[in-house]
Amino acid sequence: MSLYNPVVQLENVGVSYSNGFQALTNATLQVYGRDFLGLIGPNGSGKTTLVSVILGLIKPTTGSIELFGEPISRRNLRRVGYVPQKTMLSDTIFPSTVFETVLMGRTVRTGLFRRFGKEDYRKVEQELEHLSIQDLRNRRIGELSGGQSQRVLLAKALASDPELLILDEPTSGVDTRSAAEFYDSLKHLNREHDITIMLVSHDIGLVTKLSNRVACLNGGVCFQGSTYDFKINPSILAEL
Amino acid sequence: MTDLISFLTEPFIQRAFAIGIIIAIITSVLSVFVVLKRVSLLGDGLAHSTYGGLALGLYLGLPPLWVGSLVAVLSAVGITKSQRTKRIPGDAAVALFLVLGLGAGTVLISLSRSYGFNLESLLFGSILLVTPEQVYEASLLLALVLSLVLIMFKELVFITFDETQAMAAGIRTWAYDYLFSVLTGLAVIISVPVVGVLLIAALLVLPGLASLQVSRSMRQSMLISIAFGVLSVILGLVGSIILDTASGAMIVIAALGILLTVGFSKWMKRRMILGQVML
Repeated sequence: MSLYNPVVQLENVGVSYSNGFQALTNATLQVYGRDFLGLIGPNGSGKTTLVSVILGLIKPTTGSIELFGEPISRRNLRRVGYVPQKTMLSDTIFPSTVFETVLMGRTVRTGLFRRFGKEDYRKVEQELEHLSIQDLRNRRIGELSGGQSQRVLLAKALASDPELLILDEPTSGVDTRSAAEFYDSLKHLNREHDITIMLVSHDIGLVTKLSNRVACLNGGVCFQGSTYDFKINPSILAEL
Repeated sequence: MTDLISFLTEPFIQRAFAIGIIIAIITSVLSVFVVLKRVSLLGDGLAHSTYGGLALGLYLGLPPLWVGSLVAVLSAVGITKSQRTKRIPGDAAVALFLVLGLGAGTVLISLSRSYGFNLESLLFGSILLVTPEQVYEASLLLALVLSLVLIMFKELVFITFDETQAMAAGIRTWAYDYLFSVLTGLAVIISVPVVGVLLIAALLVLPGLASLQVSRSMRQSMLISIAFGVLSVILGLVGSIILDTASGAMIVIAALGILLTVGFSKWMKRRMILGQVML
């Protein structure tokens, strides 16, 4: 796929829930290969709904969506890595070491009826080393700090060899230093490993610092363009 | 002691141990997922629905076990469907099936006026009356549960860890959810002779809960859960023979004893570590 073909293409996507609430209206958005796209918007603007639509978790009421030039399917979802909010890891009783948690990321690559093999273990070791968490490999996931947990979830997402990585407020509740290290890793992945990144955040300063493109959401997509265009356009900020 | 040993050589006692151990393995494997998926009351809901099914079979003059199995499977599908559509809260869905099974079952048993029928054995189990056919059926279910859990182990672990992430990775989580509930339903129906309708939930929760206190990985928690489950059955049965009490209740008390012992050891270990740090 060419860099100029969108990895994600949303055309006039609308989502309304059964109670009549319209979470998204006519959202049109393109994410291109190697983009680092920051998706920003106030609380309740539809950011998580948009991510859910891209991940196939919610079916849009109107409009169309394509991933890697095709309608969403289980096949092309395997090319997407997802890192949820930190709060997802609240279950401290879950009996899984860091190594085993990252290995879960290989589940869809390995396929049904097959056990994990040498290649899966090698990939996990590689990602642990890559994110400098190899020392944590035998620690139980519930014993980790917020920043460490998010690195583990990032390693898990990367273990599936994704071409597109979607992160939904990945460092909410994580201390500043750990968050900075986490975002350094993201920058490295985007620049050195050509992974397309879509980062959802309400932190405008962070998004403009990291991303090359910005999309603003407030019910629908009210702006999408380069980070530079976003910065020199104060009216967009006022709208948010 | 000699009496106990000679008692253990009796075929009906050996069958009781055999089916007890088989059911302990089945429920202990499922119990780790039941606790982690936070559906601990699923066993209770299914057990009471099964009670309704067994009573329906009795009322209609059909084999109660077959009708009970069908109702258990249908209830498992119904509870899962209600929970997934989120039209009603998950615990309310379980409660709905629970009261429906219990209410309808009691009415049907009253209407059937079957004098030869022993309600107490249905409610509390009668493991000493188990037939060789029941041991054979339980063995088949054990083979089915172990094969499916082994085949789907990595998917089940991923879904249990975070269903949203698993869905986003393209895994058909709904299919695993229904399959898991149906397996739990079958485990419930096969467990009725051992612990009875009222205490099945204990076997589907206690071994897993105890193992999760001490294990560091999913594989480890499965094995420890099986060990705790089997130990509960052995201790419970031996205890019931010695004290001449209801076997199902003794099995549950043994499982509770194991959970409390594990919890206490963990608490002691933490205190000792804390004491060393303070020194």
